[in-house]
Amino acid sequence: MMITISTFLAEKGIYLLTFILLSLGVAGIVTCNNYMKKLICMNIMQVAVIFLFLCLGQKSKGTIPVAVEGLEKAADYINPLPHGLMLTAIVVSLGTTAVGLSLLLRIREKYGTIEEDDLLMRQELLSMEERQRRKQELQRIDT
Amino acid sequence: MIENNLPVLIIIVPLCAALLCLLLTGINRHLGRAVVVLAVLASLVMSVMQLGLVIKNGPIHYAIGNYKVPFGIEFVIDSLNAVIIVMISTIGFISAVYADHFVTDRRPLLHGAYNTIIALLITGLLGMASTGDVFNLYVFLEITSLSAYCLIALGGSRGIVSAYRYMLVGTIAATFYLVAAALLYGATGTLNMDDMAKILSSGDYDTVMLLSMCFLIPAFGIKMALFPFHGWQPSAYTHAEAGTRPLITGVMGKLPAYAMFRFFYCIFGTDFRYVRYLMLALGVFSVCSMLYGSLMAMWQNDIRKMLAYSSVAQIGYISLGFAIGTPIALAGSFLHMIGHAFMKGGLFFCTGAIRYKFGTTDLNDFGRIYKKMPLTCGLLTVAALSMIGIPPTAGFFSKWYLASGAADQHYWIYIAVLVISSLLNAVYFFKLIEKVFINEDAGLKDKWSRGPELPLTMLIPIVVCFVAILGIGLFNAKIVDVLLLTLGEVGL
Amino acid sequence: MRKLFTVIILIVAISTPFFAFDVLPVIGDPDSAPNSHVSDHYIEHAVEECNSPNMVTAVIVDYRAFDTMFETTVMFLAGVSVVLLLAGRPKRRLISPSAVKKRGRTVRGKAVYETVNKDVMISLIEPLILIYAVYVLFHGEVSLGGGFQAGALIGMTYLLDVMVGKRQRPIFNLSKFRSAALAGVGPFIYALTGLISVFAGGMYLEYNRLPLPVHQAELHSIGITAVEIGVTIGVAGTIITIINALMERISFDDDND
Repeated sequence: MMITISTFLAEKGIYLLTFILLSLGVAGIVTCNNYMKKLICMNIMQVAVIFLFLCLGQKSKGTIPVAVEGLEKAADYINPLPHGLMLTAIVVSLGTTAVGLSLLLRIREKYGTIEEDDLLMRQELLSMEERQRRKQELQRIDT
Repeated sequence: MIENNLPVLIIIVPLCAALLCLLLTGINRHLGRAVVVLAVLASLVMSVMQLGLVIKNGPIHYAIGNYKVPFGIEFVIDSLNAVIIVMISTIGFISAVYADHFVTDRRPLLHGAYNTIIALLITGLLGMASTGDVFNLYVFLEITSLSAYCLIALGGSRGIVSAYRYMLVGTIAATFYLVAAALLYGATGTLNMDDMAKILSSGDYDTVMLLSMCFLIPAFGIKMALFPFHGWQPSAYTHAEAGTRPLITGVMGKLPAYAMFRFFYCIFGTDFRYVRYLMLALGVFSVCSMLYGSLMAMWQNDIRKMLAYSSVAQIGYISLGFAIGTPIALAGSFLHMIGHAFMKGGLFFCTGAIRYKFGTTDLNDFGRIYKKMPLTCGLLTVAALSMIGIPPTAGFFSKWYLASGAADQHYWIYIAVLVISSLLNAVYFFKLIEKVFINEDAGLKDKWSRGPELPLTMLIPIVVCFVAILGIGLFNAKIVDVLLLTLGEVGL
Repeated sequence: MRKLFTVIILIVAISTPFFAFDVLPVIGDPDSAPNSHVSDHYIEHAVEECNSPNMVTAVIVDYRAFDTMFETTVMFLAGVSVVLLLAGRPKRRLISPSAVKKRGRTVRGKAVYETVNKDVMISLIEPLILIYAVYVLFHGEVSLGGGFQAGALIGMTYLLDVMVGKRQRPIFNLSKFRSAALAGVGPFIYALTGLISVFAGGMYLEYNRLPLPVHQAELHSIGITAVEIGVTIGVAGTIITIINALMERISFDDDND
């Protein structure tokens, strides 16, 4: 039993951690009420995927992928491809976060809150006011 | 030289225009926009040339950097995406022409930035259609989404909130896509689509394909707003910035559907063990989507919201074709993809024009508007009839192909749902036509002084959409022949 | 409690299938699929094909250079989006740092961001950072580093400049418009490098075909360097743009409003 668990942890354990991280992020986006927290959870989720890719590129006894004299075999270096891909993913997540933060700034200025239920209530109030104003306008035109 | 490099030039030309737009706007106020419009026009011309080449010589494989296939990034243009690229660049061009009337703030920085983002959205869409690499698709997907978030957020205070919600959901979708890509990469060790398809068909990879599919269906479902994942869509489409709304509503939802097709039929193929269950799941989603979207659209008073819900239903038609899977049904779904882009784009061009002229989007204000805007109402009517599926228009033929594909496979329930959904469409689109032609005049006030119906740059898109809807309907057999060049090989 | 429950269900739902079906490769296995098919080619041929000992650099700016071009474009897009979203001035409450003194009110003490000792610290640190950025940029091909890091470092100098408030002479004086245009020029240099090889009769981004009178292997180095310079300009421009766009709106707690 103990041996199974320890081989599992050695061979696949890190995947379990990344999936826990991924689930935490998704759950946070779904359940949190605060938009800022949702944004943080979004980042956690993206980091989880970055870990997942980096795990795939790992080699035991491999060194960083910068060519050194004396090490010629492919087994001597870890896989450079996931690192390159994840550089792109990191930049993309950075861009998304920047846009998200500026949207949040605008939401806070417009509605004065970033709590989701509060915000939806205010939106509802605004549209009710709009409808009433419109009705009065129509009545005024009729009379 | 240009002929050999067409696939990449189609993307690079609008990209360069986008990158230089801000600088050029600083030099002259109109230069930036002119360059963007010309660049998109150039890529339209090149995409038509490319379509001709593909029909004549078969698929084009373009290896960027001249590296051998699995090592570099490759573009694969077959008859399917050649047609889709023509569709994107046409709508992109007319939207770029049209959008300028809705810019309220004409400071050079903001005007230039707005045009930059439109050009980047078109670039991203074109890239998604042409790429043959799994990770490259992700990059283009993100470019498309980021520019869409920004354009939706420009649509006023409601737009910001819907853009934020779309951003959260859209990022979940992109992340799920990356998880699926990681799984496939972990199993095959390659990122090139053709190479991946070859490896996946050579061994026992059924579980990997099933699991990655479980991530891909929500990922693309969210991006294309299929029924259980559509939550972000109605408010985002309703409150998007008016000038680019045709581009966002008409084209943006279609490209994830196209990518989904690539994964299901070109990479995974139709002969792995779980394919029936997946197609059933997709079928259930599409049926729900068709019924739910049409039902919700019936209750809306705001025309933008009505059209947004109707988009949920129309995406259902497209994925229904994927769930049936015969070449004819697939051709129907692609025909619908192209046709619906023009119909929904056209309808939003019209609502934008009406809002530009009279400042209203409430259906109850539309009484006898045809007297004041005959051309716009002409397109409105044709597009609405096409949405319902009246014969000489594009909508009828795509539904016809879908139904005949379903009949071949004896999916009678799909045909029943198709008919019911079309009837529901008829209810709310006839309501629209009734308002436009029969209802009492609401006494709208023209915001602009008397003159022609609309400025010329707003009439061009309307005329192009009008011609396209009828043209796709009349020449549907030719288009389907072109589509079948590829679809005949991958379908069931 | 409900949240915990959701989280546990999600973890179980997402992770069970992967361990039940054994689809993921074993960690660190040199013979697993992702470590053998394409990756071996990169490791074995990067030095001869791209003339770059750093294989990650070879992958991102040579084999998969197209991805990186759009990655830089994503940066630019983010910068432009932030500018566009934060363009409208807020109606009240927000004070730009320079407005504090303009209004001529009594100022009780200085804002925290203005109290950093700029004379010694910053004027020493900034040139060092800039030199280091140039080193990272040009050394990225041989060792660790590259355009993104260099761009981030240059952006950092600007951030330091902004943090210490009104310097007498900032190292670069860029308005929001200029920095945004600069952020676009960076990726354009990248795209242009690709276009030049197209005009010289090759494929897009085929560095071998750059029309320069040097040895084949050198051409790859030149191509990579040109591309990295583009990336650096793009990233630095984007960071400066975002800082500029934000500085107009940020209010600090100790701004004495």
